[in-house]
Amino acid sequence: MSSTELTDTGHETVAATPPATRLRMVPLLEVRQSVSERLRIGVYVISLLVAAALSVALLAWSGVAPSDLGREIATTAFSSPRALGSVLVRTAPLVIAGLATAIAFRANFWNIGLEGQMILGAIFASAVAIYDIGPENGRVVTMALAACLGGMLWIAGPGLLKQRLGINEVITTLLLNYVAFNLLLHMVYGPWKDPVSAFPHTEQYETFERLPMLGWLNLNWALPLAVGLALILWWIMSFSRVGYLLDLMSSNARMAGAVGVPVAGLTVAAILGSGAVGGLTGFAISAGVEFRMTQDFFSGYLFSGVLIAFLGRNHPLGVVVVAFFMAVLLLVGQSLQVFFGVPFALVQLIQAIFITCVAASEFFLTYRMHWRQAA
Amino acid sequence: MTDTLALSSVSKSFGGFRALDTVDFVARAGEVHALLGENGAGKSTLMNIACGLYAPDEGHVAIDGKTVRISGARDAAARGIGMVHQHFKLVPAFSVLENIMLFNPGRSPSEVASKAQDLARQMGFEISLSDKAGTLGVAEQQRIEILKVLLAGARIVILDEPTAVLSPEEGRMLMGLVRKLAEAGSAVILVTHKLHEALHHSDRITVMRGGRKISETTPEGMDPASLTTLIVGEQIIEKPQLSKAVGPIEVELENVTLSGESGRKGLVDVSFRVRRGEIYGVAGVSGNGQNELSAAIMGLSFPSSGRIGMNGLGDVSKRGPGYRRRHGLGCIPVDRYSHGLAGRISVTDNYAVNGAMAGAYGGWGYFKRGLAQAAAREAVAAYDVQGVRSLGQRAGLLSGGNAQKLVIAREFEGAPRVVLAHSPSRGLDVRAGAAVHDRLRAARDRGAAVILISDDLDEIMLLSDRIGVLNSGRLTREFKAPAERGDIGAAMVSHE
Repeated sequence: MSSTELTDTGHETVAATPPATRLRMVPLLEVRQSVSERLRIGVYVISLLVAAALSVALLAWSGVAPSDLGREIATTAFSSPRALGSVLVRTAPLVIAGLATAIAFRANFWNIGLEGQMILGAIFASAVAIYDIGPENGRVVTMALAACLGGMLWIAGPGLLKQRLGINEVITTLLLNYVAFNLLLHMVYGPWKDPVSAFPHTEQYETFERLPMLGWLNLNWALPLAVGLALILWWIMSFSRVGYLLDLMSSNARMAGAVGVPVAGLTVAAILGSGAVGGLTGFAISAGVEFRMTQDFFSGYLFSGVLIAFLGRNHPLGVVVVAFFMAVLLLVGQSLQVFFGVPFALVQLIQAIFITCVAASEFFLTYRMHWRQAA
Repeated sequence: MTDTLALSSVSKSFGGFRALDTVDFVARAGEVHALLGENGAGKSTLMNIACGLYAPDEGHVAIDGKTVRISGARDAAARGIGMVHQHFKLVPAFSVLENIMLFNPGRSPSEVASKAQDLARQMGFEISLSDKAGTLGVAEQQRIEILKVLLAGARIVILDEPTAVLSPEEGRMLMGLVRKLAEAGSAVILVTHKLHEALHHSDRITVMRGGRKISETTPEGMDPASLTTLIVGEQIIEKPQLSKAVGPIEVELENVTLSGESGRKGLVDVSFRVRRGEIYGVAGVSGNGQNELSAAIMGLSFPSSGRIGMNGLGDVSKRGPGYRRRHGLGCIPVDRYSHGLAGRISVTDNYAVNGAMAGAYGGWGYFKRGLAQAAAREAVAAYDVQGVRSLGQRAGLLSGGNAQKLVIAREFEGAPRVVLAHSPSRGLDVRAGAAVHDRLRAARDRGAAVILISDDLDEIMLLSDRIGVLNSGRLTREFKAPAERGDIGAAMVSHE
């Protein structure tokens, strides 16, 4: 009868598996029913500590003893107001870059085009500077607004393609980075080449075209701009109706649409907002650090932005904190390079360790582990 | 006969909540064992222990008389336990064969392919191994799931509410398949809350309630009423109550035509009117335009021609859901987890969306969470949503019946004058289903026009004052309640 064949099939694999004879502890995973906020924070902190420990071990293995590392961090970042100042100068554009990325991520739009948006922001800001648009005493504000506009224009295309035709924004935003880069090269090797030095960057901005100094440490207005922006976004994300609806949408866009939430409008607003802040990142570097548009001012920010947004859990205040540590890491990395001959790749490896540890820690939020004796 | 699978005095708690309390359960080769109970009775927890997803706090599991510790799903599979989950776990982009291979690693594709074909033939159906899983219908996907676990060597097959996603016809076919599995020597466990499945298609019935085993019996001598009493601990018998006061026309569909999703029929020239104070039931075999009708009324898709009139608003057929809801439409969508609720956010946030959109909790700049929370607390109490340990709890953790109550609490909050309910009691147990029906009757009795779309003819007969039959996208017949069940059934399947 055919049924015998069926049961034969049934027994086959069972017989093929040898019964475990030794006593050993095996983990049993259970899906968690709910995750408390305390557990979430605890797991996050532990994953950061694990990443830090791994990084210290890795550096020790590369010839930087933990004590040297500690001294290096202290001198580079915290030994003097000047050191702290240079960390904070470095922090400001990283905060803005992280915010730009986090805004889009909150709306489930994977903006991988931060560098393109930064370039367009810098190009628009430089155009205002070069062609002397607007009054001199408001020039720097005009430049900032122009930078936002540039970033928005650059992200509008991918946003439209995503909304209308469902084209994957990861591809479009990413590829437009290269288009933007070539546009940048065209400008600085062509019409905007510095007439003074004939180097491929724009001429230096006038004093009134730069972010003014704060008069404290060596800081300019980029830092208050970044922190202010973070506070505003924090309010929007956590306390406004917009933030509430964004949460609803990112949890279930179909449901949000069905109950009449203007899903398309909010998504477009978040996409354009992300682009605008991306453009502002370009402005913050050009007008706050370099005082001109150089040909590689943007490099590395795309990855940093994603990393900061991810580690900061797309939370504006989280972004500020992570950006600060990122700045410390970058500066310490530079001095390790100089004094210990550690390759820069190691800094990137450390970033990767942090990302991997935090991403892997999600596992412990999804599952609960029981250790039990195997039969 | 030895018990193929035996769970003895099994207990399990989740954070202080005792989901299972010293439960005994056995499954024997050659038998179909129905496991009945309300949502939250502990059926799923018990089966998750049997297939190694949870470890019991107390008690033990034995296979073929030998006590075993199952250390996970893979271990369970190796010991011959296979579970077909309610939500299928196929990879849509993979072919049927690839999906089967994924579950049976390390075997040669040609061997698996020929075994799969043989098995399918023995079970009485055909499969095309090269089809992409994502292109298959629900019933076919389910058969692939069953094949998958059988090929992995399952002798104990657990089916978790297998007919919840099937049409009545597909359900009947599945029950035939279940019988064949048992005849071929498997121990089949049928987790269900459909009484007739247990009564007509099982050899043994275990009833659970509140984490305890209430009864183990055979179908002989049982009837729906006695089973219901065992399941809910009291008698619930719903009786039709016709409308007492029918008012003027509140909503009107006129020649609505809508093309369907990828190859489906859609709607063709559908017209009907619903008055205040009546429930208009739309009967039909699922897949005959129900989804399209529901989308057209909710405002999720716009008809290519025809009009949808709402009293005092004129034609709303080209208006989005926001507009219609502001003007008195409330909807209970067919799939509460895809269109009804956002599972990852809190009960409050799910409840508050209407009020937030209407500005009840502050303007765009400030969302007054405190107010929203207070409103949600009231609604949860008023609509008897159980299992809410805190308002900050994720809505996805609510059981089906309570999730549906939460949807209804939100949708009925502003006393909508038009209510659309699409298969509102699907997947719910008797008690929860009756509670949903009470809400719909109450909405009608306060003067709302209620449109009930359902492929469950019993539900239609129980609630409707008038009945329209949807067949191949057309509204072919209308009946006035009380109507003959047979006449409606005939109109549902007629090919004219």
